[in-house]
Amino acid sequence: MFLAAFTSTGHPEVSLDATLLSRLLQKDVSAFEQLYDRHSRLVYGLVLRILQQASTSEEVVQDVFLQLWRNADQYDSSRGPFVPWLCTMARNRALDQLRLKSERQRRREDQPDELPPLVVAPDYEKALDEKRRAERVRALMASLAPQQKKAIELAYFEGLSHSEIAAALKEPLGTVKSWIRNGLLRLKEGLRATT
Amino acid sequence: MKNCEQFRELVEAYALGALDPEERAALEAHLATGCADCSKAVEEARWLVSQLAYAAPEAAPSGMLKGRLIQSVRAEAAAKPHVMPTRSVISSWLWAAVAALLVFSLYSTWNMRRLQDEIRQANDRAAALLQQRQKTEQQLAAAKREAMILMDPSSVKISLAGQNAQGPQLEVKWHAQLGVVVMGENIPMPSPHHVLQLWFIPKAKGAKPMPSMMAWPDANGKFILLISNPPESMDATKALAITEEPEGGSPWPTSTPRWSGGVS
Repeated sequence: MFLAAFTSTGHPEVSLDATLLSRLLQKDVSAFEQLYDRHSRLVYGLVLRILQQASTSEEVVQDVFLQLWRNADQYDSSRGPFVPWLCTMARNRALDQLRLKSERQRRREDQPDELPPLVVAPDYEKALDEKRRAERVRALMASLAPQQKKAIELAYFEGLSHSEIAAALKEPLGTVKSWIRNGLLRLKEGLRATT
Repeated sequence: MKNCEQFRELVEAYALGALDPEERAALEAHLATGCADCSKAVEEARWLVSQLAYAAPEAAPSGMLKGRLIQSVRAEAAAKPHVMPTRSVISSWLWAAVAALLVFSLYSTWNMRRLQDEIRQANDRAAALLQQRQKTEQQLAAAKREAMILMDPSSVKISLAGQNAQGPQLEVKWHAQLGVVVMGENIPMPSPHHVLQLWFIPKAKGAKPMPSMMAWPDANGKFILLISNPPESMDATKALAITEEPEGGSPWPTSTPRWSGGVS
């Protein structure tokens, strides 16, 4: 069941997504096609970054968008932003596939087969267009220390835990925890300052 | 025991999925207590983590992926809004129609049988009435014929004397065209399983008695018998006689006549 939350910002990009999602409730194929055209590059780029293999990534992206199509009637578009929710679902599916592929079998306890949980944008969030948002996030990530950036990437794109990252980077667990938290807080402050 | 501030330090890593099992279990237990502030912090942390998706280089999936997706959703769109509800609606109408047809069929069958029974009973009643009417008409016609024979002056009166001179007599009126009427009162009933049968005894020498009608006296001993078509003409008949014969009559007399009289 969809538990994602949208917070309407009034930004034209968000309004267009909300309109397309409402048409999706009517099983409007052209609305689905527009949503795919608007967000498939972001979703595919994320999944490909995680899985590093084009064919498997396309299978996951296909699964994500079919899930969106089939469960649109359970989607409350008034409760939260769409793109973060879509990316969260795509990441969960991709990491699940990665764990399956690497036989690590450490499945998330929040059941990644289900739809993603509530996502609420902070009050300072003002919808940037996708291009500006991507540029800002990449710039902020690039400003982090290489090991700090690496720790966050291992957690986000490879699904590793604090302990696994510490082992992979051969750094103390407490250091890794600090890197990750401080890096995310810096990202948060950077996005707040941008808006 | 951690307080909210300590849990708040974990929410970013929790949203990232990087917490080790013990810390994740502790935070989730705290969230399960209904802490609204920490729950909101987790939800915002999820949004923050979701922004990391933009850190991945954008890439375009193949055109074939879009083609497959659009083909799939078009097929589902064609199936779901039209086929499924339509099938459901048709199914409902079909069931309703079948139910209505079944009820109508049962009612029709029951009604047809009821009507058939009524028609059969009406036919039986009509047949009985017709039979009764025919019988009445026959009785009326016979009564009229008897009356005409009895009243007509041209009828010839013949007395049939009994074996016992003291016993009751029978009187016959013979009309040349209308027939013969035999009447009597206080006539005793014949023996059980027997009937009184009239005989015409021809004048012709050696001719056998001609069997005629049979009857029983009624409960009051009144006896009346009409012979519309006598087997012999009055001229050719020498005498009339009545014998007691077994039920159904006899082709020839089996007993001595109980009444007899000559035709003058």
